[in-house]
Amino acid sequence: MGHPIRILSVDDHALLRGGIAALVATQSDMTLVAEASNGREAIQQFRTHRPDVTLMDIQMPAVDGIEALIAIRAEFPDARVVVLTTYKGDVQAMRALKAGAQAYLLKGLLQKELLDTIRDVRAGRKRIGQEVAAELADHVSDDALSPREVEVLRLIAEGNSNKLIADRLSISEDTVKGHVKNILSKLGANDRTHAVTIGLKRGIIVV
Amino acid sequence: MSQPEPIRVFSVDDQPLIRGGIAALINDEPDMRMIAQASNGHDAIQKFRQHRPDVTLMDVRLPDISGIEAMIAIRSEFPGARIVMLTTFEGDVEIRGALAAGARGYVLKHIPPGELAGVIRRVHSGKKQIPADVAARLAEHLSDESLSERELTVLERVAEGRRNREIGELLGISEETVKGHVKHIMEKLDAHDRTQAVAIAVRRGIIQL
Repeated sequence: MGHPIRILSVDDHALLRGGIAALVATQSDMTLVAEASNGREAIQQFRTHRPDVTLMDIQMPAVDGIEALIAIRAEFPDARVVVLTTYKGDVQAMRALKAGAQAYLLKGLLQKELLDTIRDVRAGRKRIGQEVAAELADHVSDDALSPREVEVLRLIAEGNSNKLIADRLSISEDTVKGHVKNILSKLGANDRTHAVTIGLKRGIIVV
Repeated sequence: MSQPEPIRVFSVDDQPLIRGGIAALINDEPDMRMIAQASNGHDAIQKFRQHRPDVTLMDVRLPDISGIEAMIAIRSEFPGARIVMLTTFEGDVEIRGALAAGARGYVLKHIPPGELAGVIRRVHSGKKQIPADVAARLAEHLSDESLSERELTVLERVAEGRRNREIGELLGISEETVKGHVKHIMEKLDAHDRTQAVAIAVRRGIIQL
């Protein structure tokens, strides 16, 4: 047997970190080497400890988990990161996987699943939670919104009319209308309000 | 001097990792003990009957019924039940709903573990516990008029992308009446348009997606 799997746990909820620490402590082949409560700390702790596997939350103050993941993998391309989140939306999952996450799991998972995943990821395998996989499959052939379309959708959610959005983005109202039309068609939405609802549900925008 | 009985704590959360974290914290405190855990609302009601805990920590969002519904059921049977809502969710509407239903505390999950132990002790001694961040969120909308049942139904249909005429047909009311409801909804939520009304309602926990 090699050395135990060295784990870094990153989450802004101390209670959840406590749960992970308690769980890892029961496993003879794992050891928790460090914890962090936001993305910036995660990057520092990663540099200091070079863990085998990092458990990373997404929604955190300062630097979020996906930004931290990107920064860590830019510096350490072999870093193995398990994203552990409450977000079911396919868009966040896709962002994380594109950024190089080896696994994407929901926090409601059973403790055994987490332990199995840590071992799998250490061994170089990938893993995506079932519920998230189903969400991803549902939208696999969808055209993703462009960054500009996401921006327009965010402004729609704030209650801006097309004219106001045009002013804010210094583009013509007709261009905004074109963006809105594309957004509705890409999301399969009945109207702009429905587009916002879908955007929130899928994690394209947050309120 | 004899040791007082430890505070018997019951934890209800659908995330095993959170329950594990709470258990680790409780078991580190000499004056408390975790006596049971549940992962959904029905299980919570049943285990409460069985264990009669001193203090219950209850998540708001559970997979079957909501934590608030579970609390109402428990308190109708055990009016003295001391229940603290422990949640990631800070929409003022759910906070208000929980307190109106008899929650003794409303705490966010990012609370430092040491503070949570303090909350449990104070609630056990009969006090109420609303931390400053939750109170501030609540105060922001304290004087707001809440939406009527009918307005809520209309807003849910608006969120699905239905037009006023369609909503009218669905609810068996005229398009004009729907328009009136939408106007009131926007006023009450201080929204510029129907789309923003939906976004605000999601943020405040008035509707869920």
